[in-house]
Amino acid sequence: MGDVTTDPTTGRTPSEHERIKAITAIALKTEEVGLDVFATGEHHNPPFVPSSPTTMLGWIAARTENLILSTSTTLITTNDPVKIAEDFAMLQHLADGRVDVMMGRGNTGPVYPWFGQDIRQGIPLAVENYALLHRLWREDVVDWEGRFRTALQGFTSTPRPLDGVPPFVWHGSIRSPEIAEQAAYYGDGFFHNNIFWPSDHTKQMVDLYRTRFAHYGHGTPEQAIVGLGGQVFMRKNSQDAVREFRPYFDNAPVYGHGPSLEDFTEQTPLTVGSPQQVIEKTLSFREYAGDYQRQLFLMDHAGLPLKTVLEQIDMLGEQVVPVLREEFAKGRPAGAPDAPTHASLVARRDAEAAGGAGKQTESVK
Amino acid sequence: MNREPIKLVVVSAGLSTPSSSRLLGDRLAEAVRQSAADGGRPVEVRVVELRDLAVDVAHNLVAGFAGRTLAEAIEAVAQADGLIAVTPVFSASYSGLFKSFFDVFDNDALTGTPVLIAATGGTARHSLALEHALRPLFTYLRAVVVPTAVYAASEDWGGSGDPLIDTLPTRIARAAGELAGLLLARPPAPRAAAGAVVQFEQQLAALRPE
Repeated sequence: MGDVTTDPTTGRTPSEHERIKAITAIALKTEEVGLDVFATGEHHNPPFVPSSPTTMLGWIAARTENLILSTSTTLITTNDPVKIAEDFAMLQHLADGRVDVMMGRGNTGPVYPWFGQDIRQGIPLAVENYALLHRLWREDVVDWEGRFRTALQGFTSTPRPLDGVPPFVWHGSIRSPEIAEQAAYYGDGFFHNNIFWPSDHTKQMVDLYRTRFAHYGHGTPEQAIVGLGGQVFMRKNSQDAVREFRPYFDNAPVYGHGPSLEDFTEQTPLTVGSPQQVIEKTLSFREYAGDYQRQLFLMDHAGLPLKTVLEQIDMLGEQVVPVLREEFAKGRPAGAPDAPTHASLVARRDAEAAGGAGKQTESVK
Repeated sequence: MNREPIKLVVVSAGLSTPSSSRLLGDRLAEAVRQSAADGGRPVEVRVVELRDLAVDVAHNLVAGFAGRTLAEAIEAVAQADGLIAVTPVFSASYSGLFKSFFDVFDNDALTGTPVLIAATGGTARHSLALEHALRPLFTYLRAVVVPTAVYAASEDWGGSGDPLIDTLPTRIARAAGELAGLLLARPPAPRAAAGAVVQFEQQLAALRPE
């Protein structure tokens, strides 16, 4: 999340510089323990520091080999879609394709006017800006006219996407069916940020996306690309996890001073306990979201010290994720796709070019 | 002829047990039930006591989502054919709990819902809180508020008072008749089905420059 928050147990507040360095250390740890993805949020107000995601991800790209670099989320409403096209294509080249991006609208009211936009136009901004971004990555020369941005005549976004294949896009939303519809229309991924929401709501949104994905001819509902959020704090002994995490939970910037840790654990994906409890709860997400492709965990927020976050990621990489990979693979239908990577998208493009017809051509709109 | 039961929900923000707001809500619900029965429709009454939901409402304000008990109550109110909303008057307006409860609704959840507004207080001097606080609130929510709002001061529960002024039972009967009339006459308010889709082509087309 990139928040600069006072550690409630020590009263110490890290500087912005310390926080930024801590975030990059966490990213390197993510690769070290064999996790797949590191994603950063984007914020334009204190107490958050990550305002410039591709700068940070570029630094991380230079020091990692396998990690996929992503965002959670990139503001499609208030960023210029032309700049998103350029920044992420550049990052994609620097990272040799280890890049995808998650679009989100952002819910901090003043950010919209600070960037010359109107929050009441949130959905139309997301729709129009992404429609332009989608073309900029796929057409070498773009003439374009819309409501929110100055028109383009003969514009070429550079660099062109690596191997002519744009970064995979997720559309993140909590409660807007319009965004699930948008993701389905393009055949892009849909990420439901469920960490503050009960599971029946998540199921409704994911079901809608899957149904509409099939409606637009991108495959069966089971072939849609779904991502979910999660939030965990672990210790070997679950009592220790609860005791240690409670002050951070109670004072967290987003949900602190609200429902109890116990209520929150019961009603949302939050798990505070042993690695085994985290495994069990995470495996249960499949019951309402179907077989899905990406699981992100919120690990670094609420003033947790860097050392603690690194320990958490160690446990995630060593004790939790290997079991999740194994268990999720069991009973997974043959039709359920893997999460798209640059290599798989290049291979699909080449197969389509070679094969000519095939149902995927329908999806190229 | 439609014999489906009318779903009537009473929201009472009274804090004592028993509270005069609940008492008023029950009287109004019974009067609506009778009036609708005269018109040939049975009524199912559900009472939502906000006292029981006070902590859940506060949690929703802080955490951004409703816990199960509160979500179920919100759903019952949103799906009601008609609503009776009763609050005690605190500091010249609806109680904070009453307002907070409706604050956590989606702003289109009550569109078209017929609503009878009512309030209780120690003195009749606060009766216009119904007109300057409750009526605008439900108008903002695009509910249909019946013309007669019922205020019950402590003294209204006793003698008939000035014979030239409507008594509480008279006002209850008039307001209930107005609500029952709406409920009997109106087709159910059209509600967006859960998971309704806005076709993406329409979203895009709406943005095309003229």
